[in-house]
Amino acid sequence: MKNGTLFFFGLFASLTLSFAVVLLANHQLGALTPYFDDGEGKAFPDRMPGVAARGQLVYRDLGCASCHTQQVRRPGFGADQTRGWGERQSVARDYIFQPFPQLGAMRIGPDLTNSAGRKPSALDAEDLMNLLYAGQGTMPAHAFLFNQVKVTGEVPAKALKLTGSAAPAAGYAVVPSEQAQTLVSYLLNLNTVYDYPESRPVVQAAAQAEGAHK
Amino acid sequence: MSHDTQEVSSNDVHARGPLLLLLGSGLVWLVISGVLALIASVQLHTPTFLASCAWFTYGHVQALQETAFVYGWLANAGLALGLWVLTRLGGEALRAGNWVTVGGLFWNLGVTLALVGIMAGDATGHSLLQLPRYVQPLLLIAYGAIAVAGVLAWSGRRSETSYASQWYVFAALFLFPWLFSVAQVALFVLPMRGVMQAITAGWFAQGVFTLWLAPLALAAAYYVVPKVTGRVLPAYQFASLAFWVLIVVGAWTGGRHLIGGPVPAWISSLAIVACSLLVFHYLVVWLNLKGALGHGGAVMKFTSFGLLAYVVGGCADAFTSIRSFTVVTQFTYFTQAQQQLALYGGVSMLFFGALYFAVPRLTGKTWASAALIGGHATTAILGVLLLVISLGVAGWTQGQALLKPAVTFPEIAAATRPWLLLASAAYTVLLIGNLMLVVNFLQTLVAKPTASAATLFQATSDIKETA
Repeated sequence: MKNGTLFFFGLFASLTLSFAVVLLANHQLGALTPYFDDGEGKAFPDRMPGVAARGQLVYRDLGCASCHTQQVRRPGFGADQTRGWGERQSVARDYIFQPFPQLGAMRIGPDLTNSAGRKPSALDAEDLMNLLYAGQGTMPAHAFLFNQVKVTGEVPAKALKLTGSAAPAAGYAVVPSEQAQTLVSYLLNLNTVYDYPESRPVVQAAAQAEGAHK
Repeated sequence: MSHDTQEVSSNDVHARGPLLLLLGSGLVWLVISGVLALIASVQLHTPTFLASCAWFTYGHVQALQETAFVYGWLANAGLALGLWVLTRLGGEALRAGNWVTVGGLFWNLGVTLALVGIMAGDATGHSLLQLPRYVQPLLLIAYGAIAVAGVLAWSGRRSETSYASQWYVFAALFLFPWLFSVAQVALFVLPMRGVMQAITAGWFAQGVFTLWLAPLALAAAYYVVPKVTGRVLPAYQFASLAFWVLIVVGAWTGGRHLIGGPVPAWISSLAIVACSLLVFHYLVVWLNLKGALGHGGAVMKFTSFGLLAYVVGGCADAFTSIRSFTVVTQFTYFTQAQQQLALYGGVSMLFFGALYFAVPRLTGKTWASAALIGGHATTAILGVLLLVISLGVAGWTQGQALLKPAVTFPEIAAATRPWLLLASAAYTVLLIGNLMLVVNFLQTLVAKPTASAATLFQATSDIKETA
C-alpha cells in the first residue's frame, strides 16, 4: 500500500460496492406498488387513517420498537403463527405506505404486526388503554400519557374505567391524552389481512407437491 | 520494549492538548453511558423503575446509552488514539491541532444535543443511528474538522511504506463520513420507502462497527502489541489481506439481522456468506496479534482480552447467522450479548489497552495509581464476562421459550429474571471500574511531572509494570 491514491481509491470502491447491494435491493423493492385484487375490486395494503398514522409517530417517539417487533416470520421458522401473531409471513409490500416502518429487533413483548387481528382474541380500545395506563407484567405503565382531571358534574366520556389500586382518588378521573388516543388508534389499525401472491407459503406448497409425485 | 529516547517525543507534546481533550470527554461519556446502561438494565427486570417519567422509557434509555457509548466514548477515544498512532508512525508532529480541538468541542456539543433530543422523543429508532436527524449534520462537520489532522498526518508521513495501523486509521477516518452522509440522505433527506429503511439502517449499523470502530481498535492494537512485546508481528504479510477482507466484505453483513424478515431472501443469504468470509479476517488478526496473550502489564491485559473478544465475537456472528441458530437467537437478549461482546469486549477493551499506553506518553507522566489500573483491569474483564454470559443465557432461554407457543410472556420474564439481575450486577461492576479509570486519569493530569520526560521511560520500568 505504498500508492496512496490507489489505496484511497480502493477504500472508496469497497464501500461503494457494499452500497450497491443496498441500491440493488432498492431497485427490487423501492418501486413496489399496491396489489390490485380484481375479485375484491380494491388495492392492498390500505393506507392508515390519519389518526392512526399520527399514532405511529407516538409509537416511534416512545421507543416501543425496543421491545416489540412488527414482522411475522414465515411458518416453520419460529412459532409466530402458533402464537397467533399472523397467519402468514410479513412481506415488503405490507410496509409501503408506512413512513417509518417499525420492524423492531427485540421481542421482550409480543409481536404487534396484527395486534388488531390477534387470534383467538385481540385487545379492544378499552383493554389497550388500561394496559397502557397501568402496565402488566414486563409491560411498564405509561401513566404519563394520561391526565388526572377533577370531575365536576358528569364523568368525561373518555375516562378510563379503573378499579382497585389503579383507580384514581374519589372525585377524579383518568383521561387519555391525545398521544394515548392516537397510539391506541394506531394499534387498533395494525392488521395485515390480505394474502399477497408473494406472501403465500410457497415452500410448504412445493414440498407437498414434491411429496405427491413420489 | 526498547526504551529509546524517542519514547516521549516532541511530537507527543504537540498532540497533547487536542488529544487529551478528546480522551477526557470520551471518559465522561463512558461514565454517563455506564449509568444509563445500568438504568436500562434495571428496567428489564423491574419495569416500574422510572416508568412514570416520559423521558426515561426503556426505549429512550436504551437509545441514550447506546448513543453515549458509541458516539460519546468510542468515537472520542477512537479518534484520539487513531490520530496519535498516525502522527507517531508518520514521524511528524500533529498538524491542524486546532481543528481537532474545535471539531472535538462541536462533536461533544452534538452528542449532548443528541442525548437531550432522544430524551424528548426524537430518536430515529435505527440501531446505532439513534441520533436525532437535526444533530447529524453538525456531527458530520465536526468529524470532518477532526479528520483533517488525520489526513495531513497520513499524507505528510515521512516513510513511503505504511503500516497496518496506518491503513486501519485512515480507512476509518475516511469511511465513516462516507457511511454517515449516505445514510443521512437515504434515511432522512430523501427517505427510502418501507423496508428499504431497515435494509439501509442495517448496512449503516454494520458499517459503523466493521468500517469505523473495529478498524480504529485494530489500529491501536497493531501499534501497541509490537511496541510492548518488542517482537515483529508473526504472519504480518497476511495483514493487508485481512484488512481488505474487512473493508470489502464488512458492510455486506448488514442483512444478518433481517434473516427471516420481510425482505428478499438474497439479502440475508448474502449477509450469511459475508459473515463466513469475515472469519478469514478474524483468523489473520488472531495470528498477527496473539503475541499479546500471556504478556504481563495492564496494557497487554486489556489488549489480549479485547483481541480474544473481537475474534470470538466475529466467529459468534458467523455461527449465529446460520438460520438454525438465528431462529432461536433472533429478537432476544442474545443479540444484545453479541453486541456487547463486540463493542465493549472487543473495541472498548482494545481502546482501554491503547489508552493506558498512550496517556503516559502524551502527558509525560506515569499513571498516578497502579492500584487503580489493576482494579480497572479486574473489574472490566470480570464485568464484560459476566455481562456477556448473563445476557447470552437470558437470550438463549428467551429464544427457546419463544419457540414454544404455550410459554407465556410473564413466564419468559420469570425465567430470564435471574440472568437479567446478573446483567445489572455486571453493569455495576463495569461502572465502578470505569470510575477508577476516570479518577486515575484526572489524578495523572493534575500531578506534577516527576522526572524529565525524556528520562522517564528509560530510567523507570514502572510504566511496563503498571501500564
